[in-house]
Amino acid sequence: MSANLTINLKRASKVYYEGETVAGVVVVDTNADLRHEGLSLTMEGCVNLQLNTKSAGIFDAFSNTIKPITLINTTIELAAAGKIPVGVTEIPFEMPLVSRQNSIAPALLETYHGVFVNVIYTLKCGMRRSFLNKQLNTSCQFFVQHRHQERPVSKPVRCEITPATVRGGAPAGGSRHMPHFQLYAEIDSTVCALDRPITGKVRVDECSVAIKSVELQLVRVETCGHAEGFSRDATEVQNIQVVCGDPRRACDVPLYAVLPRLFSCPTTATHAFKIEFELNIAVIFEDDFLVTENFPILLVRSK
Amino acid sequence: MPTYYKWVSAPKPKRRHDYPSLEVTNHPLKSELLNLKFSTNQSLLQSLKKWSLPFEELDPLLRFEQMDLDNETGPSDITGDVINYPKAWNSRRIAILNKYTTGEKLTIISSFLPGGEKISTFSALLRQVSNLNDKVKHRLEQLDDFDESSIRKTMGLSQQEFVTKIHMLDEEIKKAWDTEQRVKAFKIAIQCSKLLSDISVMQFYPSKFVLISNVLDNFGMLVFDRLKKKSFGDKDIKLEDIDSNLVPEAAKETCQNWLFKMASIRELLPRLYMEMSLLKCYLFTSREELKPAIARLTKMIRGIGNPLVAVYVRLYLCNTAAKLFGRDSENFFYDNLMEFFDDYPQIFHPAMIKKYGAQLLTSDQYLSLYVPAVDWLLYGTLNATPCKLTLLEEFLEKCQNKDNSELLLCCFVSAFDSPSVIKKSSIIMDIIYKAADEMVLLSQVLNSLGEHMCQAEPYRHPSSESLSQTWWKVASNMRSTNNFLQALEPWMQFACIQLSSQHINMLLRGTIRYMIKCGSPADEYSVQIQAVVNRLLKHVPDVEELFLMDAFMPLVELVQTSNARTAMAKTVLSVFFERFTSVQIEDHIIISSLMRLCCILHDSINAVTVEDESKLVAELINKFILAVSYQDDLEQQLNFYVDCRAAFIKLDSVLVTLIHCVSALWSRAGASCGRGAARACGAYVFVTSPSLQCPLTRASLTLQAAQLSLLNCCQGQAEANLKSFVSLIPEIPQYIQEDAQKKPTHDRVLGLISNFLSTLLILPDNMESNSKAYILSGFIKIMERIHWKKTDALYYTSLLRTMDLLCEMTRDTYAYHIEGVMSNDELYGCDREFIDVLEKHATNICQELLVVLKALGDAKENKKQCNLALDLFWRIIRRGDVSDGSMASLAMNLWSLSKKHQDSNNKYAKSLLISLEQDPTPGCQRLYEKIKDM
Repeated sequence: MSANLTINLKRASKVYYEGETVAGVVVVDTNADLRHEGLSLTMEGCVNLQLNTKSAGIFDAFSNTIKPITLINTTIELAAAGKIPVGVTEIPFEMPLVSRQNSIAPALLETYHGVFVNVIYTLKCGMRRSFLNKQLNTSCQFFVQHRHQERPVSKPVRCEITPATVRGGAPAGGSRHMPHFQLYAEIDSTVCALDRPITGKVRVDECSVAIKSVELQLVRVETCGHAEGFSRDATEVQNIQVVCGDPRRACDVPLYAVLPRLFSCPTTATHAFKIEFELNIAVIFEDDFLVTENFPILLVRSK
Repeated sequence: MPTYYKWVSAPKPKRRHDYPSLEVTNHPLKSELLNLKFSTNQSLLQSLKKWSLPFEELDPLLRFEQMDLDNETGPSDITGDVINYPKAWNSRRIAILNKYTTGEKLTIISSFLPGGEKISTFSALLRQVSNLNDKVKHRLEQLDDFDESSIRKTMGLSQQEFVTKIHMLDEEIKKAWDTEQRVKAFKIAIQCSKLLSDISVMQFYPSKFVLISNVLDNFGMLVFDRLKKKSFGDKDIKLEDIDSNLVPEAAKETCQNWLFKMASIRELLPRLYMEMSLLKCYLFTSREELKPAIARLTKMIRGIGNPLVAVYVRLYLCNTAAKLFGRDSENFFYDNLMEFFDDYPQIFHPAMIKKYGAQLLTSDQYLSLYVPAVDWLLYGTLNATPCKLTLLEEFLEKCQNKDNSELLLCCFVSAFDSPSVIKKSSIIMDIIYKAADEMVLLSQVLNSLGEHMCQAEPYRHPSSESLSQTWWKVASNMRSTNNFLQALEPWMQFACIQLSSQHINMLLRGTIRYMIKCGSPADEYSVQIQAVVNRLLKHVPDVEELFLMDAFMPLVELVQTSNARTAMAKTVLSVFFERFTSVQIEDHIIISSLMRLCCILHDSINAVTVEDESKLVAELINKFILAVSYQDDLEQQLNFYVDCRAAFIKLDSVLVTLIHCVSALWSRAGASCGRGAARACGAYVFVTSPSLQCPLTRASLTLQAAQLSLLNCCQGQAEANLKSFVSLIPEIPQYIQEDAQKKPTHDRVLGLISNFLSTLLILPDNMESNSKAYILSGFIKIMERIHWKKTDALYYTSLLRTMDLLCEMTRDTYAYHIEGVMSNDELYGCDREFIDVLEKHATNICQELLVVLKALGDAKENKKQCNLALDLFWRIIRRGDVSDGSMASLAMNLWSLSKKHQDSNNKYAKSLLISLEQDPTPGCQRLYEKIKDM
């Protein structure tokens, strides 16, 4: 005798907005009549925070997870104790997606998969059985997004990158002689809509050595508060090469990067953690000499 | 049945047989001289072609290939209203694969192929950039960061191995796809596109591009088909009918997922290629995004630093766009071409020069790598332009303003249509002239310009002379002989079409001078020289005039090795005879030039020459011999034939032609000039024919010679010829080899013998010897000696015919005579002694025929036996004397024998009986009565 539990959401994209109803069916597939003590469905949303071992305090390091923050937790009973006949049985359900009133944020947070911060929403279905039998469980993730705002006013940013503008931070470059170069970079807006690509352009006006690669790097900056203060870590989300090899001089090369789903979300700040994003334009010269220019950006949910 | 029947010939008819005759002006058998020339009888050829059209099936292999092409073209067949881009590209694809090959070792980096060595430094760059975090790796980041330990580098692959590996990857994608490992398929496709960033073996790059773009197309098709199935099921839906509003959410979601996956590929080149291969999928999300996406990609390609890689990405972009939009995509071709123009100086970037230098490529080889891509971009651009001339002007201006513009010029000249190029030819020539010293693609440019110029209307181009002169100035300074000859070919044709023969001669002289000056022997370039000569012969207005130019023959004889000389001679002769329109060649210079070429051809034949080859050579020489005419100067004509015999002794078929020619001459000579010439001709034939290989040919020629001698009243010669004919008969084999087939000689031998027997009728006996019907007796003896099978139709038919002759010879006036030749009827006047000899022969033959009849009976050949019996019966009642007792009983016996097997209404037998009935002679009537009663 074997039985299977599956949750099928009605919406293929599994993306829901706050206030909407999450609808779907729980499918029970069994090859014999199944007796159970009740079938329940739980909607759970929580923020998991993790501390970087390097920057966390000595005590936190022992258990580098902070207690998760619950955003939503509702349970409904799908079926009272009884018997499910042999074959496939579909039990429809509907649950409202509303945040808990005493939550940390005024509204639900968007689903986000990061390194130290994760916002995850799941549906869990459990079938209680008589004590001889094991309980049947299944779960299914779904995604929460904010409703689209109006498109923000674009705030373009331009900059020139020359040896003079490079803050002495190039790690290995200090001892080396810096080549002569003059680059121009432009990002169409520092307030970026999540559902639109990041655009801009980069131009090499002069450069005394050959360029190997120009890349556009998306970086997340996650800040977690904890007992001894907070930790702030920047990690790479994605890295897009825009120039490969030595480009023609004085030629506008477009920047074009699509923001990844799940790994990006609107810039968020709560009392417990912050999620921010930055862009880096990195120019790598033939001799692996690296020059970067940093642009903090604001991500908003918009089209 | 009595065993012995004495033959008695019928009493000689008293009256002369009068044949109905009528006066004619033309000999009824005279052969019409038909001039089947290509130029004159075009309509006939066309109608012939029309008839043979249904038979012209495609070669099965070609048909498969075409089916293949048809399959591949797919849905955009309809969108491209006139021009089918996928089809056009397919034909180029094959050309590219054939042209750009290499012997260098190639390298593949892939994690999906067995073998090879591990690379550890693969993602060094990646690590360096993303050194911010080494603890956590996300799925997205891993997309192009394959399981590092699995990446293997396979080095030292030959080209063929490389192709196989690529096909393996293609298969691997399909396999992974079918087993639901779609991400794996995606990864393999990415790796494939990455291979295109490797330019370590540049001269293979265009072919590599073709192979890999094919893999990517296939991958794109897989994704597209799956999405289509998800959206519309198995419905056959056209590209232009896909409406994103009708696409279900699930399919849209899958499509979005693919696009997100593609957008997160780290490296630029694979990302561009993958987006292009997935371009079609935008149809499922929103059609409007497509064109802006193509425009965006056009700009993004600027990020590719390497001009060679970049131009091929542009090529792929245009290809995918053409597949989607058909003719609507032509503006993308133009945009990309413009981007390429902007990028043009990058081609000559010092770093690139260093790279191809390191691979030991010459600069013309390097530049030619760009040609297929630029050609394709130009092709689309040109199709979109209504006014090509203005566009060409615009482009030429670009050429004038750019350094190193030869690549552009080369592509422009070959891509534009002839009328525009012809109009701008002076400007193009100017550009070439100015830059000629540095140009490495000079010969290609000149060649394609020349080809365009050949399309110009004959003698109408205004500045053809100055063009040709400028061309010569440029070309004569070319360093490579190969290139020079390559460029010479179309310009030679141009000169033929546009300029006077003096100019052509000057060009030829210049060519000879160049070839001598260049230092290396001309033999190395024999193929090219041949091509030039071929063009020259095909397009010169009057082909005979060529031989009168003083530089033509020296050019032809520039090559010295025997192989090259033979090939050259063969080309010249075959093209000459193709184009040669008049019937006869009379000019001595032409004759001696052709003779020389024929000698070269003939001398090339030796023991190991294949049969076809010598047949071809013989055909050419025959054409030459038949065409030469010295009009009324018979002696010179005969001398010519004597020379030919001396020169072409190795080829039997030529000797046969010569004998026929001399025979014709002989019959002409007999009438007009004295016996001297005729004798000479006779001697020629008599001496020449024994040297032939085939006894059958020899026999027929000997017979013909005998007849001709009789015609010319040379009885002695005729007798000699006939004697040798008789002695030849046993030598004729039963089968001869002809066209590589064994063919029976039966019918031909029978024809020859019949011909011979009818000639014998008029041959007078030699008065000096005292045997009567000397040759005939010899023939009968020979017939006895030859061991032919008795039941063979050849044998008994010959006997019957001999019998006919014998009976005919007993007449007092023969059926035909030759004027001036006194035949036996007049010589003997039915002398009894002569007739006795004949009747003795007839008796013997009749006896032999009875033996044959018995043999046929033994062999159960009833039908043959019956027919033979009737034949013999017929001869008895026609030619024999049935009043004679033994003859009558023989006839009776034969009739009863034939009755045994024949069915009652045998038409032959019936008609025999009727004619017997109508015969008024008493013997016949008596016989008829007896037979009727049977």
